[in-house]
Amino acid sequence: MGAAFSMSSLFGKLFGSKEVRILMLGLDAAGKTTILYKLKLNQTMTTIPTVGFNVETFTYKNIKFNMWDVGGQDKIRPLWRHYYSGTQGLVFVVDSSDHARIDEARTELHRIINDREMADCLLLVFANKQDVDGAMKPNEVTEKLQLAKLKDKLWFVQPAIAVDGEGLTEGFGWLSDNIKKMPKYGGK
Amino acid sequence: MASAEQPLPYAPRTNSISAFVEAPPTDSHRRSPSTVPTSKFAADMSQPPPRPARSPLPHGFNPADMDHLSDPNVKDKIASTGTGPSSQHSSLSAPPPKVRYDPSLRRARKPRSQYPRSSTESHVEYILVASFDIDRGPIMEHQYPVAITGDEHMLAELMLPDQAHVRNQDWTVFFLHKDSSQEEDDAERQAKESRRARRRRRRDRAKGIIHESDDEEDGEEDLDDDDDWEDDLSSDDEPEGGEGPPLVYVLNLVNTKQDKTVKRGAVVKAMAICTRHPFLHIYKPLLLLALEEYFKSPVPETLSMLFNAVNEMDLSLMPKLSLLERHLLQASDNKDLFVEKFERMIQARISEETAEDIADQPFDASRSPPKRPGIFRSGTKSYIETHTGAYAVPRDTHEFESKVMYKGIPIPIKVPVAVMPETVGDFSLIKLIQNFSDSHAKSPQTFALHPHLTTNGPTTHPIIVLVNALLTQKRVIFLGHNMPSGEVAEAVLAACALVSGGLLRGFTRHAFPYTDLTKIDDLLNVPGFIAGVTNPTFEHHPEWWDLLCDIPSGKMKISSKIESAPITEGLVYFQQQNPAYANFISGASAGGSGGGSGGGAAGQQSSGDLTGDAAFMGDILRCIANRSGERVVRAKWREWVLKFTRIAAAFEETVFGASALYIGSDGDDATTNGGTGAGGGAVGMAARGHGYVWADEATKAKELAGNVTRIEGWRNTRSYYSFIQDVAQSYTVRPLKGLDLAHMHDRLRTQKLTPQQSKEIFEAFYNYVWSYDEICLLLSVAPESHAGLFYIALGLFHKDRDVRVKTAELLDRIAEHEAGQHWWRSLSRFEKLAYVRIKKEVEQEGRGGGREGGVVSPVEGKRVSSGRG
Repeated sequence: MGAAFSMSSLFGKLFGSKEVRILMLGLDAAGKTTILYKLKLNQTMTTIPTVGFNVETFTYKNIKFNMWDVGGQDKIRPLWRHYYSGTQGLVFVVDSSDHARIDEARTELHRIINDREMADCLLLVFANKQDVDGAMKPNEVTEKLQLAKLKDKLWFVQPAIAVDGEGLTEGFGWLSDNIKKMPKYGGK
Repeated sequence: MASAEQPLPYAPRTNSISAFVEAPPTDSHRRSPSTVPTSKFAADMSQPPPRPARSPLPHGFNPADMDHLSDPNVKDKIASTGTGPSSQHSSLSAPPPKVRYDPSLRRARKPRSQYPRSSTESHVEYILVASFDIDRGPIMEHQYPVAITGDEHMLAELMLPDQAHVRNQDWTVFFLHKDSSQEEDDAERQAKESRRARRRRRRDRAKGIIHESDDEEDGEEDLDDDDDWEDDLSSDDEPEGGEGPPLVYVLNLVNTKQDKTVKRGAVVKAMAICTRHPFLHIYKPLLLLALEEYFKSPVPETLSMLFNAVNEMDLSLMPKLSLLERHLLQASDNKDLFVEKFERMIQARISEETAEDIADQPFDASRSPPKRPGIFRSGTKSYIETHTGAYAVPRDTHEFESKVMYKGIPIPIKVPVAVMPETVGDFSLIKLIQNFSDSHAKSPQTFALHPHLTTNGPTTHPIIVLVNALLTQKRVIFLGHNMPSGEVAEAVLAACALVSGGLLRGFTRHAFPYTDLTKIDDLLNVPGFIAGVTNPTFEHHPEWWDLLCDIPSGKMKISSKIESAPITEGLVYFQQQNPAYANFISGASAGGSGGGSGGGAAGQQSSGDLTGDAAFMGDILRCIANRSGERVVRAKWREWVLKFTRIAAAFEETVFGASALYIGSDGDDATTNGGTGAGGGAVGMAARGHGYVWADEATKAKELAGNVTRIEGWRNTRSYYSFIQDVAQSYTVRPLKGLDLAHMHDRLRTQKLTPQQSKEIFEAFYNYVWSYDEICLLLSVAPESHAGLFYIALGLFHKDRDVRVKTAELLDRIAEHEAGQHWWRSLSRFEKLAYVRIKKEVEQEGRGGGREGGVVSPVEGKRVSSGRG
């Protein structure tokens, strides 16, 4: 086991596994913490509301992700901006079944994306909770979030069911591929 | 409280939570030499009554001295000398009166309580409950007795620290900068008036019932009460900082309970106690019980029950100590030190109750049979067996034992008796030092150089870097990712105490023991702060801090964005005056490139450890390794800080020709103040000096060179200015204004003196150290943890017989002193024998005329050359 560990860390060195900082945001109860721990532990945890933040580090496709999950209640959303600097990727989680708050989600997303410090980062949107009846489909979410408006921005909408882990691999696959293309990421 | 009228720039009238913008010091320029107040300025400012000429009393206390003392304890001391703990009162039966604010219970001429029963100040001012609402985030649920003014949302955020959801329980501490509001001022005034009215009413009532003679006495007593009251409020012996009203300290407990029945599976609630007492940690067990209770019944009554319970805690038998006494007690391990004060408090209480008993007699005939009161040592066998209900002095005079009745359960509480300034809550300097020393010992850290911080080059010990950062008012953050927020708060509180040493102020006032991103904008408005956080985002923002102390890794980081130290006048002058050391200074700031690569500690050694800090840290770490204990480490840090201030004073005097960091005199004042006509005559030359003592000029220049950059960084900071203020203020109350006892004692300790020089010092001690306070001062410069009275008692071996006799008499005075007796007891056997011999000689002389003094062992320097005894 020790050997396996050192092998993987050796590969990490060879391929310049640099840490990338990912920020995961979204309205409260969208499923951010569930996604984080599903990715980190491959377990479905019963999560409770996040007071402040969670941060975890895990490796996926040879990329070391340093992923931040920040609490989403409206009163604490102004704090999100403090996490922007140095962020290479934004994961925005949407509760696709929450029709009432999709406009609120759009407002928040555009506010984040338009910040100068987030100008260069990738945007991955998880259209979460696809298992709920009446959940919006990915194209509907794309439309409601007015992603077409975003210029000079790499974005991708991935349908997901976080509790089952469905869609997460695909989403992070897209993220990894595009991170490797980024000039900041050691030219890889 | 008195200063509430004036809204201060750093303490807005509104209730701002750890948030204030400070105007830069008005005198933003360096003080030029001409503007530095000379040592004399404060002497003029204060109007000390000219010291009465002393009649050459051979022994005991001069009554004239006692009158000029502000400390009533001296009188008590005299009054109580000889009366043992047993009491002659035979009729005590009434339980302690329930009335808390009855001033008539107080009588003049009694030892003062730290928290008198007559005080209107509550122990705890507010109880708050907040919770994390799943839709709205942190919200305030209840506040008792009234809503605390200010932004309650901000408060709720602080009460629910980051990541509270990942642990079941967490403690936090934070401070509120709360000015008493207009309403509170009014309320205070009203309370005062109603107190007066009550007194008047009582007097009137008494007139109707009690005999005329009693009436008169009663009236007089009331007058005394008035005086006492004013005394307690306004004229305190020591300066208390003067940076606005005392902070409100908040101790907060947060619990997260998983609960499947509620939406999103958990309930997060926090309860906080707001108090102005610095010993907020005593409330921990109560908060645990009360928050548990609140989960069961989330109603305001749960808060009021806690509020009433804690405020009924009786601390009225805890004596009030002067700053000097507190210092002595803090530095001493002796569990009996000042036990007499506790006894006197109890005696006063017993006689009070007896008096009341007698007064009550006519009205209440059906009393239980009187029982004999007594004072016992708490925890002793006799106390437990016979008198559990009786008054008891504490087992250890460092802690006052009391209890809080909560839901019928007595919760034992121990309150620290001597709390030094800037000491808040419960923390351990040892823990802080070890946390940042262990990793440094394993792999020495090399710092990016900054003249204020890396005073020993790139391998400066992290703890020294931390203290330097605090002295020079940098922005310091303690980061404890994945740690309970209580632990980062503890580190912040420890850092405040570390750099203050109980001497410097202004650190806790700018400390944020726990804070988070929600307060970042307010935090950045504070020039120089100490903050504790658990969110690692702070590390990603080097523009927010100057020094980041990462608790889990034990590493410190100097920010890449730290402002560089300006070249200051003082530095330039010093370099001009000491060209030989100019290189050393720049060596500390820019050179030392070789040390970084290989040498490490050795490289630093070769550059000489100019500051002596490497040696000092070595000593501290040895102390910790030897399990010397927290008190010793704190005492050593206090000495370090004291030394720093004295070096800074010497630096200013050297470079600018004057310093406001020391007020006293160069001897002239001593003679005018001290009364030239007194028995001893004028102060000798050797006793006239002041300030830090170096063995020789070269050592002095070296040490100044090592310190010059951080001294220059310290000047112009809050703690520097408040220290000057404190020095000026304490000068007015301090005994022995003209003399620097520490200087004299240091000379005995470190320098090689001629017999004439040491004679002058011993004689100055003999001539000037008489009163209670003066002896306290002498004891404070000769702490037990060092050599105690050793160097003073060396006068017993002086070659001049007169000096020997006078030293013996001085020791007599010390031995009679309440604290001095303990110092006397730990005097070495060798010196005690010498004392006995001298006493015998004097006695025989008195009886049978002069006799030859015999062979004499002279004092030469610090060594006794020939031991005889």
